[in-house]
Amino acid sequence: MPSIMRINRLLLIMSIVLAALVLPACQHRQHDPGVVHLRAWTMWGGDEAEAFQVVVDEFNRTHPHIQVHNLAAVEDTKIIRAIVANDPPEIFTLRDPGYLGSLAGNGALLCLDEFFKQSGLKESDYAPGSLSQCRYNGKLYAMIYLMDCFALLWNKDAFREVGLDPERPPKTLSELLEYARKLTKRDANGRIVRIGMMPPDPLIIISAFGGQFIDPKTGMPTADHPRNIEALEWYQKLIEVQGGAEEVNAFQAGFGQEMGINNPFLVGKVAMMINGQWNPYWFQRYGPKVRYGAAPIPYPDQYPEQKNPTWLGGNIFCIPVNCKHPKEAWEFLRWTQTVEAQVLFASTMHGVPNILAARKERSLREGEPWKRAFAVFMDVANSPNARHFPPTPITGLYQYEIYSAVDFVRYGTKTPAQALRDVQKRVYREMLFWRR
Amino acid sequence: MRERQRNLQGWLFVSPWLVGFFLFTLYPILASLYYSFCDYRVLSPPRWVGLANYVALLTDRDYFLPSLWNTLFMLIELPLALIIGLTMALLLNHKIPGIGIFRTIYYLPSIMPVVAVAVLWLWVLNPQYGLLNAVLTPLLAPFGLQPPGWLADPKWSKPAFIMMDLWAVGGSVVIYLASLQNVPAHLYEAAEIDGAGAWHKTLNVTLPMISPVIFYNLIMGVIWTFQYFTQTFIMTQGGPQNSTLFYALYLFYNAFRDFRMGRACAMAWILFILTLIATLIVFRTSARWVYYEGERG
Repeated sequence: MPSIMRINRLLLIMSIVLAALVLPACQHRQHDPGVVHLRAWTMWGGDEAEAFQVVVDEFNRTHPHIQVHNLAAVEDTKIIRAIVANDPPEIFTLRDPGYLGSLAGNGALLCLDEFFKQSGLKESDYAPGSLSQCRYNGKLYAMIYLMDCFALLWNKDAFREVGLDPERPPKTLSELLEYARKLTKRDANGRIVRIGMMPPDPLIIISAFGGQFIDPKTGMPTADHPRNIEALEWYQKLIEVQGGAEEVNAFQAGFGQEMGINNPFLVGKVAMMINGQWNPYWFQRYGPKVRYGAAPIPYPDQYPEQKNPTWLGGNIFCIPVNCKHPKEAWEFLRWTQTVEAQVLFASTMHGVPNILAARKERSLREGEPWKRAFAVFMDVANSPNARHFPPTPITGLYQYEIYSAVDFVRYGTKTPAQALRDVQKRVYREMLFWRR
Repeated sequence: MRERQRNLQGWLFVSPWLVGFFLFTLYPILASLYYSFCDYRVLSPPRWVGLANYVALLTDRDYFLPSLWNTLFMLIELPLALIIGLTMALLLNHKIPGIGIFRTIYYLPSIMPVVAVAVLWLWVLNPQYGLLNAVLTPLLAPFGLQPPGWLADPKWSKPAFIMMDLWAVGGSVVIYLASLQNVPAHLYEAAEIDGAGAWHKTLNVTLPMISPVIFYNLIMGVIWTFQYFTQTFIMTQGGPQNSTLFYALYLFYNAFRDFRMGRACAMAWILFILTLIATLIVFRTSARWVYYEGERG
């Protein structure tokens, strides 16, 4: 059959061509002996990826024997799939730090305690709430490279308009309710055109009340802790004084993207909000004419010991347990903890340094106008009442449960106590299931 | 000898598909069946737990059963899509100047990427600034009514999704249109001679003749509804008050948020069985209303 012969020859030629195309691609990385190449999969994309690339370039320049190659905009689930497939990158970030507990609990992460001990890093170098974000069951499984921190931001012109002192933000949470009521503006049809206080992340309010997510002794969930219930009762009031869930939801649904000129705070739709340290820079970039102030989050009147509460997040870096070059991967993480690397990244990414010495750095506090407000965030982050969600194996589910509980509370379908008891029932069961 | 060689070559030529099928389709399907009986947290090896996943799901009144109910609610869309799609196809079947342009216009929404459509509709459905409420507000105002909050309102979120999907009904319109044009003209002539008007012609000639296509669209619609995911994943993530937590979204949450892959696999198999039952019901009833040419009936 000559035609089949011809096809066979054709196939042969095609496979040779294909091989010629594919094989060089497999060898694109030159194997210079003595240089270790590390893959870093990170969450940042766009401008932020460029900011991180600057850090990587600086590391590569100063560490010629290690070359880090950054892959930008990686989803957590892709990393998890790579771990399952036994081919994870040497270093990766967690977009959702809530994954730390489940990854560590499943033995997927390299324990960094030994490295940390030998590195000369000291616990006392670290800001409160930084290393605790990296620990699970008392063991260190990650390094934090800059943190997020939340404070109250208010629009001074809106304050002036309703007769409030623009230089005096609310100090307590009941004062905040009063201000929110005053600052909420409606049109002739009674629809909100400016909300006094943007409903904050309920986790922040719970922690401001001194609430609790996990019993530190047993490690079991405490979703229906009395303080948590009080926090949601306050949250419910906040929605009420501003017109109820439907009004507030409808108004919030009309908000433009936060990153850009349609930021609801910048266009005057929001008079006060609790938001992160990246805002001062955004405000300068997207709405430099807006007059605003930054201050610590108000505290509950009945608990003065909760003064200066704040909520923390962080950029979490991990090394997988089956990493081929753990020493070199650690060398990169260790380098991110130097004051120099912290300041370098903080100045472009606008995160709060997690190394205390870097927080004092003058270049982060002085100069362009936004840095004054940024400095407020850095000081707020030092507060002993700074909290974050404790690493648990069920964090994703736990947080979703709390958010849906708040949803029910907003609409008045459930009371705060009822909603949180339902959460407790489910997350408790889930934790037992996890421990089995 | 030669026969064997040819056979071998045949197998070699289909082998890319065979390898793909066994490795990437059949194996995962069977593995998921096994995992559905395991406590499998993805990162650690699976552990056999028997029917525990199925029991946990079928007794879960907080998420699983509501997500199933939400999905079943979306079946309302099927008759609506049928009526609207068929009506549009009948209208677009007229030979008038510029009909090609109209057909294109109505078909266009169905070929837009789902993600882009979802983001677009987020704006259309926006309670305050959306196109829809901008039209509804002056219409409802004389009655002292306000338009709904759509995706911000648990009572209206599902109808909002249905409305959005009906906008993209053009895909089935094209299929109806093709089958309408296949209805033999002599049947219409015969009906006309018998004195049938436009209504009777539609009812007694058109509908029976295109019933296999209606049947096809119905089956596809059932399967599609059970797998409803992208829109809610992008637009509401299940909220408000879990009113748009559809089956496939909850399955995804189990697998990739909570690492309960075993339970997610069990959900996939329950979904398979439900889809199978729904399809079988449609098939069973089809004998009564689907007409195949050349079949004695």
